[in-house]
Amino acid sequence: MTTVSDHNRIQRWLLPAILALGLLLIQRPAPCVAQTPGDPVSFVNDVVPVLTKAGCNAGVCHAKAGGGQNGFQLSLLGFEPLEDYQHLVREGRGRRLFPLDPPRSLLLAKAAGDVPHGGGVRIEKDSKNYNTLLRWIQAGSPYRPAADPDLVAIAIEPATGTLLPGESLNLRSIATFSDGSTRDVTKTSLFESNDSAMATVTESGQVTALDLPGKVSVMVRYQDRVAVYNASIPLGQPVTPPPPNNFIDELVFANLKQLGIPPSQVCDDATFLRRVSLDIAGRVPTEVEARAFAADDAADKRATAIDRLLRSPDYADYFANKWTALLKNRRDDASDITSNFAFHAWVRDNLLAGTAYDQLVRQLLAATGTVIANPPVAWYKRVKEPKQQIEDVAQLFLGVRLQCAQCHHHPFERWSQEDYYSLAAFFSRIGRKPTDTAGEDLIFHQRGMAQAVNMKNGQPVPPAALGDSVGEIPPDEDPRLRLADWMANPDNPFFAKSLVNRYWKHFFRRGLIEPEDDIRDTNPPTNPELLGALERHFVDSGFDLRALIRAITNSKAYQLSAIPNEHNLVDSQNYSRFYPKRLQAEVMLDAIDQVTGAQTSFANLPIGTRAVALPDNSYNKASPFLRVFGRPEATSVCECERVQSGSLAQSLHLMNAGDIKSKLAAGGGRINRLIGEKTSAAEKINELYLAAFARAPSESELATALQYINEPRTGADGKPLDETRTLRENLQDLTWALLNTKEFLFNH
Amino acid sequence: MTDPLPLRRISPRGGRCILPGAWLGATALLCLPTLLHAQSVCLPAPRLLTTMPMGGQAGTEIEVKVTGQSLDGSEQLIFSDPSIIATPKLSDDGTVVADTFLVRIAKDCAAGVYDARIMAGLGISSARAFSVSDVPEVTQTGPSTSLETALEVPIGSIVNATLVDRSVNFYAFDAKQNQRIIVDCVAKGIDSKMNPVLVVADAGGSDLIVERRGGIIDFTAPQDGRYYVKVHDLTFKGGPHYFFRLALTEATADAVVTRLPATKSVNSFSWPPPGVDDVPAADESELAAVDDGAMGITLPCDVGGSFFPAADVDTYQFTAKKGETWWVEVASERLGRPTDPSVVVQRVINGGKVVDVAELADIPSPVKRSSNGYSYDGPPYNAGSSDALGKFEINEDGTYRIRVTDLFGGTRNDPANRYRMIVRKAAPDFALVGWALHMGLRNGDRNALSKPIALRGGAVMPLEIVVVRRDGFDGEIELFFDNLPEGVTATGLKIAAGKTRGIMLVSAAANAPRGLQMADLFGRATIDGQDVVRHCHWASMKWPVTNAKSEIPDPRLVDQIPVSVGGIEQAGLSIEAAEDKVWQVEAGGKLTIPLRLIRRGDFSGKSMALQTFGAAFERNARFDLSLTEDQSQVTLDLARLKTPQGDHTIAFYGGAVAKYARGDAKPKDIVDIYVSKPISIHVVPAEATK
Repeated sequence: MTTVSDHNRIQRWLLPAILALGLLLIQRPAPCVAQTPGDPVSFVNDVVPVLTKAGCNAGVCHAKAGGGQNGFQLSLLGFEPLEDYQHLVREGRGRRLFPLDPPRSLLLAKAAGDVPHGGGVRIEKDSKNYNTLLRWIQAGSPYRPAADPDLVAIAIEPATGTLLPGESLNLRSIATFSDGSTRDVTKTSLFESNDSAMATVTESGQVTALDLPGKVSVMVRYQDRVAVYNASIPLGQPVTPPPPNNFIDELVFANLKQLGIPPSQVCDDATFLRRVSLDIAGRVPTEVEARAFAADDAADKRATAIDRLLRSPDYADYFANKWTALLKNRRDDASDITSNFAFHAWVRDNLLAGTAYDQLVRQLLAATGTVIANPPVAWYKRVKEPKQQIEDVAQLFLGVRLQCAQCHHHPFERWSQEDYYSLAAFFSRIGRKPTDTAGEDLIFHQRGMAQAVNMKNGQPVPPAALGDSVGEIPPDEDPRLRLADWMANPDNPFFAKSLVNRYWKHFFRRGLIEPEDDIRDTNPPTNPELLGALERHFVDSGFDLRALIRAITNSKAYQLSAIPNEHNLVDSQNYSRFYPKRLQAEVMLDAIDQVTGAQTSFANLPIGTRAVALPDNSYNKASPFLRVFGRPEATSVCECERVQSGSLAQSLHLMNAGDIKSKLAAGGGRINRLIGEKTSAAEKINELYLAAFARAPSESELATALQYINEPRTGADGKPLDETRTLRENLQDLTWALLNTKEFLFNH
Repeated sequence: MTDPLPLRRISPRGGRCILPGAWLGATALLCLPTLLHAQSVCLPAPRLLTTMPMGGQAGTEIEVKVTGQSLDGSEQLIFSDPSIIATPKLSDDGTVVADTFLVRIAKDCAAGVYDARIMAGLGISSARAFSVSDVPEVTQTGPSTSLETALEVPIGSIVNATLVDRSVNFYAFDAKQNQRIIVDCVAKGIDSKMNPVLVVADAGGSDLIVERRGGIIDFTAPQDGRYYVKVHDLTFKGGPHYFFRLALTEATADAVVTRLPATKSVNSFSWPPPGVDDVPAADESELAAVDDGAMGITLPCDVGGSFFPAADVDTYQFTAKKGETWWVEVASERLGRPTDPSVVVQRVINGGKVVDVAELADIPSPVKRSSNGYSYDGPPYNAGSSDALGKFEINEDGTYRIRVTDLFGGTRNDPANRYRMIVRKAAPDFALVGWALHMGLRNGDRNALSKPIALRGGAVMPLEIVVVRRDGFDGEIELFFDNLPEGVTATGLKIAAGKTRGIMLVSAAANAPRGLQMADLFGRATIDGQDVVRHCHWASMKWPVTNAKSEIPDPRLVDQIPVSVGGIEQAGLSIEAAEDKVWQVEAGGKLTIPLRLIRRGDFSGKSMALQTFGAAFERNARFDLSLTEDQSQVTLDLARLKTPQGDHTIAFYGGAVAKYARGDAKPKDIVDIYVSKPISIHVVPAEATK
């Protein structure tokens, strides 16, 4: 039985509810009249940019790529507006919008902080962006008004310029639409500096230069388009560079002149020989080489030394070490040994033979057969999935990171899922047959039309190379060969550029584009003219890796001293001086062996095998030295897997580790030999300096060393040690000290 | 020579021993790994593993040292060519120098690879390749693992050597500027475990050219001077099993290089088809281009070609009439090349366009080959090939094309990757190859031991025979042996119509005398009303691989099928039907066969599980046979097996763990295959007995 009070309660709640439902039913089909006059609001061109600006669709918030929040998902950065519309308007029975009372819509209430929101206040009430959302809901939340134009391009104004340290500039973002109209979309654009240590940028687009000189960029994003503002921040000092040796010098020094950064002096001969030996051959010069180079009066002796190093097997060993780690030559099982040795040797032998880079990549990409008969097949053992294959190939050989495009439009690039899967289509005709070795297949071309399925729409896509058509590939042709053809085309915008940038970084520590495998419009090179010239030189040489190295190492830019002058210490990207590099783990181990005369024994390899010649990562396990100093495990195509930073563990290892001590005391080592030789203490010290630093000691260094060498020592019992033992221990100490210097540990 | 050691039979241990349970348990746990390890697979068999040197020059006499397994009582070193004769080396006092022979190679002995075997106490050994050349040969006696200790090698000679573990062998030679030197090395091709790497280095030892894929180095000296050849294994393994023959040969600039001879892969048994000439009738380079680069041919044809340059596509064009059927066979992998030929037949339609008619794939293995999984799921031999064999039918008159490509050839640039294509009308035939049966003998077992046919008295050895059928031949094939030694019989369990596998059982009488014969194994079939007999090729593992997970089994074809009886040991177990007769049973009925066990040794376990050989009986359920009883029986349910009427031969087989010892050695548990003597069954129609 219903009481009066019940009745009242029902009236109080039910009637408004019925009314609200009725209104909702009436209101839903017909949008309410906009309360704020203005242009019709487009979900695509107005609402999504607001959501992007507010960060709603960022990876850490509601972006689907990050899993969304509490069931509310949006496409990353609004790349899929139609999907977002469905999520916002239809999903959850329309609970996110409240047309009857638009300001009470969950969308606005959450964004403005009217109700608890994990992301906090994202849009201030009464701001322009808030009103845009409000007007859109008031207008009945349409997807697009009639004749709503599409975004065609985005431009940033100004596009380039010079900013003095501390100077600020307001950037404007101008959108151009398919109807020819343009609109200032600065307030709904995102701005991002590529180097916040050089320049900062505010949400409103105000860029401010800091104190570091060089080139900096600011990316602006609106919808799925990006544009870049490039600025120079000059130091403004007078520049008098050394006479150029080649085109590299002309372009490096021109850039320094523009920025007003004076270069350091050209380094001395000993420094050059050590530097170039480490960078080309992965080893320090022998004392014999150091003496010979110092005694050589030839004007072209540096070029001669470069040629000698490039011809040596050491060059092939060292660069094979670099490439095989990037190509994931990894030992996961004992049975991998044969394929890993074969693959490493294949890379090494081709480098030794001077195989052109495009041919090397072609043989790898289109490898078929068994590992023994055709070792590049081993790459397909490590990288089995087509998606992984294209991601690795794109990053390693094209400098393009495509991973994002598998699931959504690339946030910093133009790559779509269509681009991703059309690249994957090149790898769709790889046939596999098991071999006698578990986990190892032989690879063959499986006849048929190449295609991949776009996982987004389920549609088959034919092969295409990052937007470039490669024509129809008949079923008899291995599509991977067509991809290799496209790469080796002299006009390919990625292939040569990626390699020269990677190699530039190898020698200069910093790529012209950083990171070296992230080439995109929004990450411009610090010296585009130089990058372009290197690219042309490399293509014109027939993709000759040695020619590229020869050009780089013969340049004065490479031969600049690492010692800064009074101005260029702040420069970290324009190569006004040589940026010192800590020796790589393998190189350092070899260098210590070379100085001490010891040999490190590696399993399954001949005694005397250098650490840079190790075929795979398996040796890291048994070598604390290699682990501590960051030898990569070959799990990634990123050079960043190699740890080049210093650590306390490294210092402690060099100072205290048993393997270092045993090398110093090695029976057949250098110190024991020096003790047995009838040479003066000064000559012994001289040899140690030449072995460690490729130079003789200075007078003061020699005096200090001599004083130490001649110091008497006492044993644990307090009794004086005999002369030989004293000399041995003192020489060991001196060598230990040399090994622990920065001059030894760094390539400088 | 050492005296042969007799088999010692082990008697069950008597008495009782009472120990506290905990102590027993602990002991058992401690001993468990030892016990597991103690059980080995397959009874000892003679195996010749190395000869040093591995060959010699025709017309010379050389001293050859041999090593191997179970070679006690070695009497003879036997070669597969009668022009190579060995005699035991005698010391000055007239006694035999152990494991050493003087080998005389007749002057007219052709250069090539032959098989060497030892006739040991247990019988004939497995084979080891022995090469004959026509150039001077050197046998390396000491290590040369540094530049300083490099062995001088005259150009125009061959070095027989082994590798030192984790080392590189150095060889020195002098060359004049522009002198062309061919550096060749054969290792796998003469049974070595080595994957050879060749390096030519300069006088300072710096590498100039490297070859790691088993090829040659074609070196032209850039200047007068000293050069070095470095030789090592791909993974720097070494030891006596890593042997090789290195040849340095001067060649004129235009000379075609000939490789050192090598043994043949197992799958080469199916090439060539009967009646095919040694060389093809034409080469692709001799054919005239007719259209779009296609070369004109008329069918039938026999063409030689090359998968060169990289991604080469050879297109042959011909006309054909409706109703014709043609068979295409391409050989390349079976010629020893690392290729995967593909054949596509297309019809040319208007405007030069083509439509596919047929795509011919690999020659499948006749039986499922063992995968690389946990344990065997097939024989560890590959009798199939990546070569192509198949037919196409012409449905309308017109112009057709055959496209021949190498599915491995996208980036290969080797003119030596040759092929031969034969297009013919159907010529039904078959090719046979056999090997000693391998089977998993314990949990996870992947043993792949070389198994010579060295029989013990009373033993039955199963051989597995497989067939590649050609051009539609589908009939049954009978298997038979000729030239068996005294006391040895063989029974072929035929390859049934449409099937690809048969079993040959070789039985030695319990009292069979010591003997050796080079036997002949054949298959006989009726094709188009004609009696066709084909020789069966023989394959063997090169090495006694105890675990295929850690060492990839590497079989090859061998020259001969020697069958021997050692005469010094008897099989631990013989199984036979209680009566030597033809067992008659009506179709769909049940047949119970009493079995008799003759045990000459002790076994672990009380029973063994038996399966059944025989075309219509292989689905017979596995059954247990008591190892402690002298009598047993088996019942065959022909209704369940759906055995057709007619004559059948079957045998039962399974694994049992024998306690085996030689001489005074401690007995070992050894699991091996035991097979019953063949049993003949005649299945009559059900009405026949009513």
